[in-house]
Amino acid sequence: MAVIAFYLIAAVVLVSALSVIMARNPVHSVLWLILAFFSSAGLLVLIGAEFLAMLLVVVYVGAVAVLFLFVVMMLDVDFVELKRGTLRYWPFAVLVGIIFAAEIVLASVIGTADMETNFDASPGAETNAEAIGQVMYTQYLLLFQMAGIILLVAMVGAIVLTLRHRPETKRQNIAKQTSRRRSDAYELKDPTPGQGI
Amino acid sequence: MIDFTAMILTVGPELWLVAIALIGVLVGATLKDRFNSVSIKFGALALFAAAAFSLMNYEGGEAFNGLVRTNTFVNFAKFVSYVLAGFALLTSEGFLKRHGTIRYEYSLLILLASFGMGMILSAADLMTLYMGVETLSLSSYVLAAFHRDSAKASEAGLKYFVLGALASGMLLYGASLVYGFSGSTEYAVIAAADPSIGMMFGMVLMIVGLAFKVSAAPMHIWTPDVYEGAPTPVVAFFASAPKMASMVVFANVMFTMFGDVIDQWQLIICIIAGLSMIVGSLGALTQTNIKRLLGYSSIANMGYALVAVAAGPELGAGPLLVFLTLYVIASLGLFMGVLAMRRKGGMVEGINELGGLMRKRPVLAIALSILIFSMAGLPPFGGFFGKWEVLSAGVEAGLMPVVIILVLASVVSLGYYLRLIKIMWFDEPTERFEAVDGPVTITVLLAALIAGILFLFFISALSGWAGTAALGLAG
Amino acid sequence: MSNYVESLGQLWGPLLVLGQIALFTLVLLLSIAFLLLLDRKVWAGVMMRKGPNVVGPFGLMQSFADFGKFLLKEIVIPAGANKTVFLIAPILTCTLAFAAWAAIPVAPGTASGTSWVISNLNVGVLYLFAISSLGVYGIIMGGWASNSKYPFLGALRSAAQMVSYEVSIGFVIVTVILLVGSMNLTDIVNAQEGGIWTWHAFSFQHFPLILVMFPMFIIFFVSALAETNRPPFDLPEAESELVAGYQVEYGSTPYLLFMLGEYLNIVLMCALMTILFLGGWHGPFALGEEFVRDHPFVNAFAGLFWFMFKILFLFIMFAMVKAIVPRYRYDQLMRLGWKIFLPTSLVAVLIVSGYVVYLGVQS
Repeated sequence: MAVIAFYLIAAVVLVSALSVIMARNPVHSVLWLILAFFSSAGLLVLIGAEFLAMLLVVVYVGAVAVLFLFVVMMLDVDFVELKRGTLRYWPFAVLVGIIFAAEIVLASVIGTADMETNFDASPGAETNAEAIGQVMYTQYLLLFQMAGIILLVAMVGAIVLTLRHRPETKRQNIAKQTSRRRSDAYELKDPTPGQGI
Repeated sequence: MIDFTAMILTVGPELWLVAIALIGVLVGATLKDRFNSVSIKFGALALFAAAAFSLMNYEGGEAFNGLVRTNTFVNFAKFVSYVLAGFALLTSEGFLKRHGTIRYEYSLLILLASFGMGMILSAADLMTLYMGVETLSLSSYVLAAFHRDSAKASEAGLKYFVLGALASGMLLYGASLVYGFSGSTEYAVIAAADPSIGMMFGMVLMIVGLAFKVSAAPMHIWTPDVYEGAPTPVVAFFASAPKMASMVVFANVMFTMFGDVIDQWQLIICIIAGLSMIVGSLGALTQTNIKRLLGYSSIANMGYALVAVAAGPELGAGPLLVFLTLYVIASLGLFMGVLAMRRKGGMVEGINELGGLMRKRPVLAIALSILIFSMAGLPPFGGFFGKWEVLSAGVEAGLMPVVIILVLASVVSLGYYLRLIKIMWFDEPTERFEAVDGPVTITVLLAALIAGILFLFFISALSGWAGTAALGLAG
Repeated sequence: MSNYVESLGQLWGPLLVLGQIALFTLVLLLSIAFLLLLDRKVWAGVMMRKGPNVVGPFGLMQSFADFGKFLLKEIVIPAGANKTVFLIAPILTCTLAFAAWAAIPVAPGTASGTSWVISNLNVGVLYLFAISSLGVYGIIMGGWASNSKYPFLGALRSAAQMVSYEVSIGFVIVTVILLVGSMNLTDIVNAQEGGIWTWHAFSFQHFPLILVMFPMFIIFFVSALAETNRPPFDLPEAESELVAGYQVEYGSTPYLLFMLGEYLNIVLMCALMTILFLGGWHGPFALGEEFVRDHPFVNAFAGLFWFMFKILFLFIMFAMVKAIVPRYRYDQLMRLGWKIFLPTSLVAVLIVSGYVVYLGVQS
């Protein structure tokens, strides 16, 4: 049962990954990519890493791919036009692809590493989430924090490169608005008739 | 529980830097523009303190369950990198102010980049290495495009980013192969593992990634463009501190992780070194922009440094440190010279504009000449001794072909170095130069003093330190 | 013969699941039909109108009439539309909305620690979170494939809005997970056993935490409004600006699927709030262990009643909000999500984790 499921899902992953690069419309490419992500999450479930699988869906499918889709939809580039020149690069691309494939095949055929080793998705714990939780903040504390620093750098960088203060734009100051009282805005006068204020 | 002592002993300077950077973010968010100018000094001070910190715990240690491990070899590099980064930061204030782009994020990015340098130097695990490389690179991409309104700077940043991402991918791919075939990400375990073919594939891919980071040929394409396009103080930073750090990391990775299979990678490194020297010295000959010229010169110099790497840990580690230290000091000094050359209406970057510098500003001209001679490796100056050490290491290791290329490349490079000298000393002066910022002058003079005279007093000590520092590798 | 029995036994498991799914679907569809009517009735009531009252007694059959109408209409696909994506979008929305219900436990099982649920996932909360984060695709695909301005703008708005509010929803869920120490929805419900004061919204068993958890409940409620594109956050379909947002070009069955998916999602959010904060199937007063042991079925149906009652209560709240609160402006919406909810829920995560580590009784 699990084997059938594996081959089924793996086939979907491969087909959708292939379609990512074959699709004519870039938006379709991204949609295929999403399918590939989603099916990869299925593969993760099969090996018992359900926590990782859900994270993959939440992070990659739910957030990253949405932004991809955003960018691709907004750009509205005529990709058929763009792709016209790519034919020239095909031989080179195929060459690089073949070299990489050959490397992997060679490495795994000649390599001495034990490829048959069974994979344990949750070593030393009942569930996958528990296993990750046990090492993430202890053994790999440094890496976890460094990942945070990388994100900080990305954030600072994005702000540096894109934020522009436009003094002429009008902004809403909510705190000022809500703290405004009636007495700040107007006062009641009692003018004598015929005299004015 | 967490062992704080070991943490401080091992990565104290990095923790300090990151703490300062985080404080800087908060202070900057509160003070906004009032923090801009202060942040530069604040950051430079923090970097100098970090340098002192790395000397205080010179022996190093191990922390975070073996994710980081330091020794004298890397602590030496840390010290030099931090000092240079501090100077590069300190001297950028005037330039940024004149271009109206002074923002406190600049110093934060330099601090975070320095944190990345420290982490790759301290790394004893592939994951730490990769994370550090990413921190350093990401901050560098942003720094390169810091003048976001200038088309050239944006182009430099984008080019750097696209190619750098590719190189990071290579590094990661290589690292994952190495991990897959050795069963661990720790340097020590990988070094002890049986070197299978798959692992060698991984090693080669890692070399490709690292060669990009030190801008060695044939992964050098980005260097001249980025050097030309990025703001000059940023380039001064790129050409000094990260160069030192990445090169030492390159050596560290090869020596500690693949030390036993030196016969597998010696040839690769030799080819990269030879190519870099040829490309660097021939490419520089035709350049008319001084920043591009210095970019090519840095490619050639990375080639020289790689000769020391190819010589292996016993012979090459000490000379590598000596050469790199003297090179990055001269390099920073020269870029300070570029910063100092300023006319009405902007910076001067064409080399012909240097004409008559001797008659207008003799002190600056003499200082720059000393630095150029030192970089060219002419005998009475510091650079010569660095090159000499590398050369003898190469000869001892029996790498005659690259040693011959090294000598030839040095001769060729004299061509463009001497052209600079000739323009400065004998050509007709053009317009007047404007006044120079204090920190820039001081840095140029300091660098020239070190490269010209002071090195005499400590060159023997330096090779001594470097020699003992290199011993840290073995222990 | 024995072989046959064995294979029948193997079949029994999948068949049971299929039966459960069919039952769930049927019940859900029926309840949606009446909830839709309820929604309109509440809205009408607030406006002092009568609401739908023609079809059947009190208009009870209104939804079925609408259903028939949508089903029988012609499906119109705009000429410039991307046909495949245009049709996949509503199907995806509806499928995902149904799929999420697979992990919702609706009533206590007869054995202790079990529940009536199709699939008792260990990472149930994450599963729901993941599925709901996929919901944005239906909208964005529909908006793009329509090849028209208003739908596209609506889709972009909606995607940005859903991605933004998902972040604070995630943090709110984390506070609950921290208190329970499990991501299993059944465990989360069982951790709130013992009366109204032990529900997470009040959490008297973790005494000072009511100050954190009740605001978290409110934040979750408001974020759920935004996540399901309900008023006052119905910017994606704001009729005064975008006609009907991503649904402009849809009609007949595809539109029906969109609407069905939307209401399923709303009810799902109500169910999730019930499970996370309002004690799931537990009534406001504990029934007592002995009673539960002696009458497991009574307990189960009481649980089912309470569960549905709470969902209904929350749904009426949703409907009331729609009737009472005016629509937000887009920048106000973003400000609320990023500048208020996100920091608040982040601080809450800090406080709750501090509580769990230093004071709490982690299960």
